Amino acid sequence: MRRLFKMPPQLFRIFLLAVGIVVAYSIARYFLTPASFGEYGWYRGAALAEMATRDRVYAGKQACEECHSDEYQKLIKHEHKGLSCEACHGPGEAHVQNPDNPDVKMAVLHYSLCLRCHEANPSRPKWHKQIVSKNHYTGKCTECHVPHSPSEVP
Amino acid sequence: MNRPVSRRSIIGKLGAVVAGVLAAPAAKAAKAVAQKLLVSADAPKDYHPTAHKWLMAIDANRCIGCGLCAEACKRENHVPEGPYFRTWVERYIITKPKPGSGAARGETLVDCPNGGINGYPEAPVLKEEIQHSFFVPKLCNLCQHSPCVQVCPVGATFDAPDGAVLIDPKYCIGCGFCIQACPYGCRFLSPVTKTAEKCTLCYHRITRGLKPACVEVCPTQARIFGDLKNPVPDDPLQQFYQNNLVIALKPHLGTEPRLFYAGIDKEVR
Repeated sequence: MRRLFKMPPQLFRIFLLAVGIVVAYSIARYFLTPASFGEYGWYRGAALAEMATRDRVYAGKQACEECHSDEYQKLIKHEHKGLSCEACHGPGEAHVQNPDNPDVKMAVLHYSLCLRCHEANPSRPKWHKQIVSKNHYTGKCTECHVPHSPSEVP
Repeated sequence: MNRPVSRRSIIGKLGAVVAGVLAAPAAKAAKAVAQKLLVSADAPKDYHPTAHKWLMAIDANRCIGCGLCAEACKRENHVPEGPYFRTWVERYIITKPKPGSGAARGETLVDCPNGGINGYPEAPVLKEEIQHSFFVPKLCNLCQHSPCVQVCPVGATFDAPDGAVLIDPKYCIGCGFCIQACPYGCRFLSPVTKTAEKCTLCYHRITRGLKPACVEVCPTQARIFGDLKNPVPDDPLQQFYQNNLVIALKPHLGTEPRLFYAGIDKEVR
Protein backbone atom coordinates (compact mmCIF):
# COMPACT_ATOMS: atom_id res chain seq x y z
CA MET A 1 0.00 0.00 0.00
CA ARG A 2 2.60 2.52 1.12
CA ARG A 3 4.70 1.67 -1.89
CA LEU A 4 1.71 2.07 -4.18
CA PHE A 5 1.01 5.70 -3.22
CA LYS A 6 4.62 6.49 -2.38
CA MET A 7 3.37 8.47 0.59
CA PRO A 8 6.06 9.78 2.90
CA PRO A 9 5.70 8.16 6.34
CA GLN A 10 5.17 11.46 8.21
CA LEU A 11 2.25 12.35 5.91
CA PHE A 12 0.85 8.87 6.31
CA ARG A 13 0.80 9.28 10.10
CA ILE A 14 -1.02 12.62 9.80
CA PHE A 15 -3.49 10.99 7.44
CA LEU A 16 -4.05 8.17 9.94
CA LEU A 17 -4.56 10.69 12.75
CA ALA A 18 -7.12 12.62 10.68
CA VAL A 19 -9.03 9.44 9.89
CA GLY A 20 -8.93 8.51 13.57
CA ILE A 21 -10.39 11.89 14.58
CA VAL A 22 -13.19 11.65 12.03
CA VAL A 23 -14.02 8.10 13.15
CA ALA A 24 -13.98 9.07 16.84
CA TYR A 25 -16.22 12.08 16.08
CA SER A 26 -18.64 9.91 14.11
CA ILE A 27 -18.83 7.34 16.92
CA ALA A 28 -19.37 10.05 19.56
CA ARG A 29 -22.00 11.74 17.40
CA TYR A 30 -23.81 8.46 16.86
CA PHE A 31 -24.08 7.81 20.58
CA LEU A 32 -24.67 11.36 21.84
CA THR A 33 -27.22 12.70 19.34
CA PRO A 34 -30.67 12.38 20.93
CA ALA A 35 -33.14 10.19 19.07
CA SER A 36 -35.56 13.06 18.50
CA PHE A 37 -32.91 15.48 17.23
CA GLY A 38 -33.98 16.86 13.88
CA GLU A 39 -37.60 15.80 14.30
CA TYR A 40 -38.78 19.40 13.75
CA GLY A 41 -35.49 21.21 13.29
CA TRP A 42 -31.99 21.48 14.67
CA TYR A 43 -32.98 20.76 18.24
CA ARG A 44 -34.26 17.94 20.41
CA GLY A 45 -37.86 17.30 19.37
CA ALA A 46 -38.59 15.56 22.67
CA ALA A 47 -38.05 18.89 24.47
CA LEU A 48 -41.49 19.96 23.19
CA ALA A 49 -43.20 16.94 24.74
CA GLU A 50 -41.29 17.37 27.97
CA MET A 51 -42.39 20.98 28.23
CA ALA A 52 -45.97 19.99 27.46
CA THR A 53 -46.10 17.49 30.34
CA ARG A 54 -45.53 20.10 33.05
CA ASP A 55 -48.30 20.48 35.63
CA ARG A 56 -50.63 23.44 35.47
CA VAL A 57 -51.64 25.68 38.35
CA TYR A 58 -54.60 27.52 36.83
CA ALA A 59 -57.44 25.20 35.89
CA GLY A 60 -59.31 27.41 33.41
CA LYS A 61 -62.87 28.70 33.40
CA GLN A 62 -64.38 25.54 31.87
CA ALA A 63 -63.16 23.45 34.80
CA CYS A 64 -64.95 25.80 37.24
CA GLU A 65 -68.14 25.70 35.19
CA GLU A 66 -68.39 21.91 35.42
CA CYS A 67 -69.31 22.06 39.13
CA HIS A 68 -70.23 25.72 39.74
CA SER A 69 -72.50 26.26 36.73
CA ASP A 70 -75.02 28.26 38.80
CA GLU A 71 -72.42 30.90 39.67
CA TYR A 72 -71.05 30.74 36.14
CA GLN A 73 -74.47 31.43 34.62
CA LYS A 74 -74.90 34.41 36.93
CA LEU A 75 -71.48 35.76 35.99
CA ILE A 76 -71.89 35.65 32.21
CA LYS A 77 -75.09 37.73 32.33
CA HIS A 78 -73.39 40.81 33.76
CA GLU A 79 -70.47 43.18 33.19
CA HIS A 80 -68.01 40.79 34.78
CA LYS A 81 -68.71 38.16 32.10
CA GLY A 82 -65.20 38.48 30.67
CA LEU A 83 -63.59 37.68 33.98
CA SER A 84 -62.03 34.33 34.64
CA CYS A 85 -63.09 32.78 37.96
CA GLU A 86 -59.44 32.43 38.89
CA ALA A 87 -58.77 36.13 38.31
CA CYS A 88 -60.43 36.83 41.68
CA HIS A 89 -60.55 33.45 43.43
CA GLY A 90 -56.94 32.53 42.71
CA PRO A 91 -55.48 29.55 40.89
CA GLY A 92 -57.57 26.42 41.37
CA GLU A 93 -56.00 23.39 39.74
CA ALA A 94 -55.28 21.87 43.18
CA HIS A 95 -58.97 22.30 44.07
CA VAL A 96 -60.04 20.78 40.73
CA GLN A 97 -57.87 17.73 41.42
CA ASN A 98 -59.30 17.32 44.97
CA PRO A 99 -62.74 18.93 44.84
CA ASP A 100 -64.02 17.24 48.01
CA ASN A 101 -61.00 17.87 50.20
CA PRO A 102 -61.76 20.93 52.37
CA ASP A 103 -58.06 21.34 53.17
CA VAL A 104 -57.24 22.06 49.52
CA LYS A 105 -58.18 25.70 49.12
CA MET A 106 -57.93 28.13 46.28
CA ALA A 107 -54.69 30.09 46.47
CA VAL A 108 -55.04 33.69 47.64
CA LEU A 109 -53.87 36.48 45.37
CA HIS A 110 -51.47 39.24 46.30
CA TYR A 111 -53.73 42.16 47.02
CA SER A 112 -57.28 43.28 47.37
CA LEU A 113 -59.87 42.09 44.91
CA CYS A 114 -62.14 44.93 43.76
CA LEU A 115 -59.63 47.74 44.12
CA ARG A 116 -56.98 45.91 42.19
CA CYS A 117 -58.89 46.87 39.07
CA HIS A 118 -61.25 49.66 40.15
CA GLU A 119 -59.08 52.05 42.18
CA ALA A 120 -58.78 55.28 40.20
CA ASN A 121 -55.50 55.68 38.41
CA PRO A 122 -54.65 58.27 35.74
CA SER A 123 -52.93 55.56 33.70
CA ARG A 124 -56.08 53.45 33.43
CA PRO A 125 -58.19 53.85 30.28
CA LYS A 126 -61.13 56.22 30.60
CA TRP A 127 -63.77 53.64 29.66
CA HIS A 128 -62.91 51.56 32.71
CA LYS A 129 -65.07 52.19 35.81
CA GLN A 130 -62.92 53.55 38.60
CA ILE A 131 -63.42 55.00 42.09
CA VAL A 132 -61.26 56.90 44.54
CA SER A 133 -61.81 54.43 47.35
CA LYS A 134 -61.20 56.80 50.25
CA ASN A 135 -63.81 59.23 48.91
CA HIS A 136 -66.18 56.48 47.79
CA TYR A 137 -66.92 54.37 50.85
CA THR A 138 -64.85 52.97 53.69
CA GLY A 139 -66.85 49.81 54.35
CA LYS A 140 -66.91 46.58 52.40
CA CYS A 141 -67.56 46.74 48.66
CA THR A 142 -69.95 43.78 48.93
CA GLU A 143 -72.32 45.76 51.18
CA CYS A 144 -73.55 47.52 48.03
CA HIS A 145 -72.14 45.50 45.09
CA VAL A 146 -72.47 41.84 44.09
CA PRO A 147 -69.22 40.74 42.44
CA HIS A 148 -70.85 38.01 40.32
CA SER A 149 -73.60 40.33 39.11
CA PRO A 150 -72.34 43.90 39.53
CA SER A 151 -75.39 45.51 37.94
CA GLU A 152 -77.68 44.10 40.65
CA VAL A 153 -78.22 45.62 44.08
CA PRO A 154 -78.15 43.14 46.98
CA MET B 1 -2.68 -19.08 -4.90
CA ASN B 2 -2.26 -22.44 -3.21
CA ARG B 3 -1.41 -21.05 0.17
CA PRO B 4 -2.08 -23.48 3.02
CA VAL B 5 -5.12 -22.48 5.05
CA SER B 6 -4.39 -22.66 8.72
CA ARG B 7 -7.03 -23.39 11.37
CA ARG B 8 -6.06 -20.18 13.12
CA SER B 9 -6.82 -18.02 10.11
CA ILE B 10 -10.23 -19.67 9.59
CA ILE B 11 -11.22 -19.16 13.21
CA GLY B 12 -10.01 -15.59 13.00
CA LYS B 13 -12.09 -14.89 9.88
CA LEU B 14 -15.18 -16.54 11.37
CA GLY B 15 -14.77 -14.43 14.47
CA ALA B 16 -14.60 -11.28 12.36
CA VAL B 17 -17.83 -12.20 10.54
CA VAL B 18 -19.68 -12.88 13.81
CA ALA B 19 -18.43 -9.61 15.28
CA GLY B 20 -19.54 -7.76 12.15
CA VAL B 21 -23.06 -9.26 12.33
CA LEU B 22 -23.38 -8.46 16.04
CA ALA B 23 -21.89 -4.99 15.80
CA ALA B 24 -24.97 -3.19 14.46
CA PRO B 25 -27.48 -4.41 17.12
CA ALA B 26 -24.88 -4.00 19.85
CA ALA B 27 -24.27 -0.42 18.78
CA LYS B 28 -28.01 0.23 18.70
CA ALA B 29 -28.49 -1.19 22.19
CA ALA B 30 -25.55 0.79 23.50
CA LYS B 31 -26.96 3.92 21.89
CA ALA B 32 -30.32 3.39 23.58
CA VAL B 33 -28.64 2.95 26.95
CA ALA B 34 -26.46 6.03 26.44
CA GLN B 35 -29.48 8.13 25.50
CA LYS B 36 -31.53 6.91 28.43
CA LEU B 37 -28.72 7.99 30.72
CA LEU B 38 -28.18 11.34 29.01
CA VAL B 39 -31.55 12.43 27.68
CA SER B 40 -35.06 11.07 27.84
CA ALA B 41 -36.89 10.80 24.55
CA ASP B 42 -40.67 10.97 24.89
CA ALA B 43 -42.45 11.63 21.64
CA PRO B 44 -45.55 13.88 21.63
CA LYS B 45 -48.71 11.82 21.58
CA ASP B 46 -52.03 13.43 20.66
CA TYR B 47 -50.61 16.92 20.12
CA HIS B 48 -48.91 17.68 16.82
CA PRO B 49 -46.75 20.82 16.90
CA THR B 50 -46.86 21.22 13.12
CA ALA B 51 -50.68 21.42 13.10
CA HIS B 52 -50.78 24.68 15.08
CA LYS B 53 -49.44 28.21 14.91
CA TRP B 54 -50.14 29.95 18.18
CA LEU B 55 -49.99 33.69 18.51
CA MET B 56 -50.76 36.36 21.06
CA ALA B 57 -51.67 39.98 20.48
CA ILE B 58 -51.89 42.87 22.94
CA ASP B 59 -54.63 45.48 22.94
CA ALA B 60 -53.11 48.13 25.20
CA ASN B 61 -56.32 50.18 24.95
CA ARG B 62 -57.91 47.60 27.17
CA CYS B 63 -55.12 47.10 29.72
CA ILE B 64 -56.04 48.44 33.15
CA GLY B 65 -52.72 47.59 34.79
CA CYS B 66 -54.12 45.21 37.40
CA GLY B 67 -51.06 42.96 37.12
CA LEU B 68 -53.13 39.77 37.29
CA CYS B 69 -51.35 38.45 34.19
CA ALA B 70 -47.89 38.93 35.69
CA GLU B 71 -48.99 37.27 38.92
CA ALA B 72 -50.68 34.36 37.12
CA CYS B 73 -47.55 33.85 35.02
CA LYS B 74 -45.36 33.70 38.10
CA ARG B 75 -47.59 31.14 39.74
CA GLU B 76 -48.29 29.03 36.69
CA ASN B 77 -44.65 28.73 35.65
CA HIS B 78 -43.09 28.75 39.14
CA VAL B 79 -41.03 31.81 38.26
CA PRO B 80 -38.69 32.62 41.18
CA GLU B 81 -39.58 35.46 43.53
CA GLY B 82 -37.74 38.68 42.87
CA PRO B 83 -37.03 40.57 39.66
CA TYR B 84 -37.72 37.64 37.35
CA PHE B 85 -40.64 37.83 34.95
CA ARG B 86 -41.82 36.04 31.86
CA THR B 87 -44.46 38.69 31.41
CA TRP B 88 -44.86 42.05 33.12
CA VAL B 89 -46.84 45.27 32.78
CA GLU B 90 -45.07 48.60 32.31
CA ARG B 91 -46.62 51.96 33.13
CA TYR B 92 -45.82 54.71 30.67
CA ILE B 93 -46.33 58.32 31.67
CA ILE B 94 -45.69 60.98 29.04
CA THR B 95 -45.65 64.42 30.58
CA LYS B 96 -46.81 67.64 29.02
CA PRO B 97 -43.95 69.61 27.43
CA LYS B 98 -42.59 72.58 29.34
CA PRO B 99 -44.55 75.72 28.38
CA GLY B 100 -42.72 77.69 25.72
CA SER B 101 -40.28 74.86 24.95
CA GLY B 102 -41.82 74.27 21.54
CA ALA B 103 -41.75 70.51 22.06
CA ALA B 104 -44.74 68.35 21.22
CA ARG B 105 -44.11 65.82 23.97
CA GLY B 106 -42.63 65.98 27.40
CA GLU B 107 -40.58 63.40 29.25
CA THR B 108 -41.31 59.68 29.07
CA LEU B 109 -41.42 58.02 32.49
CA VAL B 110 -41.58 54.25 32.63
CA ASP B 111 -41.89 52.14 35.75
CA CYS B 112 -42.78 48.58 36.56
CA PRO B 113 -42.48 47.82 40.31
CA ASN B 114 -42.44 44.03 40.78
CA GLY B 115 -43.80 43.53 37.29
CA GLY B 116 -47.01 45.35 38.24
CA ILE B 117 -48.10 42.52 40.52
CA ASN B 118 -48.46 44.75 43.58
CA GLY B 119 -49.92 47.73 41.75
CA TYR B 120 -48.24 51.02 41.00
CA PRO B 121 -47.30 53.87 43.32
CA GLU B 122 -48.74 57.36 42.87
CA ALA B 123 -47.59 58.84 39.58
CA PRO B 124 -44.25 60.67 40.05
CA VAL B 125 -45.77 63.78 38.46
CA LEU B 126 -48.97 65.65 39.19
CA LYS B 127 -52.08 64.50 37.37
CA GLU B 128 -52.29 67.87 35.60
CA GLU B 129 -48.79 67.44 34.16
CA ILE B 130 -49.58 64.11 32.51
CA GLN B 131 -50.21 64.38 28.79
CA HIS B 132 -50.92 60.71 28.32
CA SER B 133 -50.48 57.61 30.42
CA PHE B 134 -51.13 53.95 29.76
CA PHE B 135 -50.07 50.41 30.57
CA VAL B 136 -48.16 48.09 28.25
CA PRO B 137 -48.04 44.35 28.95
CA LYS B 138 -44.74 42.89 27.81
CA LEU B 139 -43.73 39.35 26.99
CA CYS B 140 -41.76 37.40 24.40
CA ASN B 141 -42.29 39.12 21.05
CA LEU B 142 -42.26 35.79 19.19
CA CYS B 143 -39.80 37.05 16.57
CA GLN B 144 -39.59 35.47 13.14
CA HIS B 145 -35.86 36.20 13.11
CA SER B 146 -35.15 35.57 16.78
CA PRO B 147 -31.75 36.95 17.85
CA CYS B 148 -31.92 34.75 20.94
CA VAL B 149 -32.09 31.61 18.84
CA GLN B 150 -29.26 32.74 16.57
CA VAL B 151 -26.76 33.30 19.39
CA CYS B 152 -27.33 30.12 21.42
CA PRO B 153 -24.01 28.23 21.25
CA VAL B 154 -25.51 24.84 22.12
CA GLY B 155 -28.76 24.93 20.16
CA ALA B 156 -30.81 24.84 23.34
CA THR B 157 -33.27 27.53 22.25
CA PHE B 158 -35.31 27.18 19.12
CA ASP B 159 -38.37 28.33 17.21
CA ALA B 160 -40.91 25.57 17.78
CA PRO B 161 -43.06 24.73 14.74
CA ASP B 162 -46.19 25.83 16.61
CA GLY B 163 -45.02 29.41 17.08
CA ALA B 164 -43.49 29.42 20.56
CA VAL B 165 -39.81 30.20 21.11
CA LEU B 166 -38.70 27.62 23.64
CA ILE B 167 -35.64 26.67 25.67
CA ASP B 168 -34.61 23.05 26.15
CA PRO B 169 -33.67 23.13 29.85
CA LYS B 170 -31.59 19.97 29.52
CA TYR B 171 -29.36 21.53 26.90
CA CYS B 172 -29.16 25.12 28.19
CA ILE B 173 -25.75 25.76 29.77
CA GLY B 174 -26.77 29.10 31.28
CA CYS B 175 -24.21 31.18 29.38
CA GLY B 176 -26.59 34.12 29.08
CA PHE B 177 -25.90 35.01 25.44
CA CYS B 178 -29.60 34.87 24.62
CA ILE B 179 -30.41 37.16 27.55
CA GLN B 180 -28.12 39.80 26.07
CA ALA B 181 -29.35 39.16 22.55
CA CYS B 182 -33.06 39.65 23.27
CA PRO B 183 -33.76 43.32 22.48
CA TYR B 184 -37.01 43.15 24.43
CA GLY B 185 -35.53 41.94 27.72
CA CYS B 186 -37.79 38.92 27.77
CA ARG B 187 -35.29 36.40 29.14
CA PHE B 188 -33.63 35.93 32.50
CA LEU B 189 -31.23 33.51 34.13
CA SER B 190 -33.16 31.55 36.70
CA PRO B 191 -31.41 31.49 40.08
CA VAL B 192 -33.08 28.13 40.74
CA THR B 193 -32.32 26.11 37.61
CA LYS B 194 -29.31 28.23 36.48
CA THR B 195 -30.68 28.11 32.96
CA ALA B 196 -32.25 30.82 30.81
CA GLU B 197 -36.03 31.06 31.07
CA LYS B 198 -38.66 32.87 29.09
CA CYS B 199 -42.31 32.94 28.11
CA THR B 200 -43.28 29.57 26.61
CA LEU B 201 -46.81 30.76 25.76
CA CYS B 202 -47.67 28.38 28.65
CA TYR B 203 -46.71 25.47 26.43
CA HIS B 204 -48.09 22.93 28.92
CA ARG B 205 -51.47 24.67 28.76
CA ILE B 206 -51.85 25.37 25.05
CA THR B 207 -50.95 21.78 24.18
CA ARG B 208 -53.88 20.69 26.36
CA GLY B 209 -56.36 23.07 24.75
CA LEU B 210 -56.22 25.75 27.45
CA LYS B 211 -55.30 29.41 27.11
CA PRO B 212 -52.02 30.69 28.56
CA ALA B 213 -52.43 31.68 32.21
CA CYS B 214 -52.06 35.43 31.51
CA VAL B 215 -54.78 35.30 28.84
CA GLU B 216 -57.00 33.23 31.13
CA VAL B 217 -56.97 35.75 33.99
CA CYS B 218 -56.91 39.01 32.01
CA PRO B 219 -60.16 40.68 33.12
CA THR B 220 -60.47 42.98 30.09
CA GLN B 221 -59.31 40.72 27.25
CA ALA B 222 -56.31 42.96 26.62
CA ARG B 223 -54.42 39.82 25.72
CA ILE B 224 -55.73 37.98 22.68
CA PHE B 225 -54.66 34.46 21.94
CA GLY B 226 -55.39 32.22 19.00
CA ASP B 227 -54.25 29.59 16.55
CA LEU B 228 -53.52 30.93 13.07
CA LYS B 229 -53.75 27.46 11.51
CA ASN B 230 -57.09 26.57 13.16
CA PRO B 231 -59.20 29.74 13.41
CA VAL B 232 -62.49 29.31 15.27
CA PRO B 233 -65.72 31.14 14.35
CA ASP B 234 -65.40 34.78 15.50
CA ASP B 235 -61.73 34.17 16.13
CA PRO B 236 -60.61 36.83 18.63
CA LEU B 237 -57.21 37.08 16.97
CA GLN B 238 -58.69 37.69 13.51
CA GLN B 239 -61.13 40.22 14.95
CA PHE B 240 -58.26 41.99 16.67
CA TYR B 241 -56.44 42.38 13.35
CA GLN B 242 -59.61 43.54 11.61
CA ASN B 243 -60.50 46.16 14.19
CA ASN B 244 -57.15 47.62 15.18
CA LEU B 245 -54.16 49.42 13.78
CA VAL B 246 -51.24 47.34 14.97
CA ILE B 247 -47.52 47.89 15.36
CA ALA B 248 -44.59 45.76 16.49
CA LEU B 249 -41.97 46.85 19.01
CA LYS B 250 -38.53 47.97 17.72
CA PRO B 251 -39.25 47.21 14.05
CA HIS B 252 -35.92 48.79 13.02
CA LEU B 253 -34.04 45.83 14.52
CA GLY B 254 -35.34 43.46 11.86
CA THR B 255 -36.42 40.84 14.36
CA GLU B 256 -39.87 40.74 12.71
CA PRO B 257 -41.93 40.20 15.87
CA ARG B 258 -45.09 38.20 15.41
CA LEU B 259 -46.54 39.80 18.55
CA PHE B 260 -48.46 42.95 17.61
CA TYR B 261 -49.67 45.75 19.81
CA ALA B 262 -52.65 48.03 19.40
CA GLY B 263 -52.98 51.33 21.23
CA ILE B 264 -49.40 52.12 22.22
CA ASP B 265 -47.48 55.36 21.72
CA LYS B 266 -44.30 55.84 19.74
CA GLU B 267 -42.39 56.08 23.03
CA VAL B 268 -42.91 52.38 23.80
CA ARG B 269 -39.74 50.38 23.33
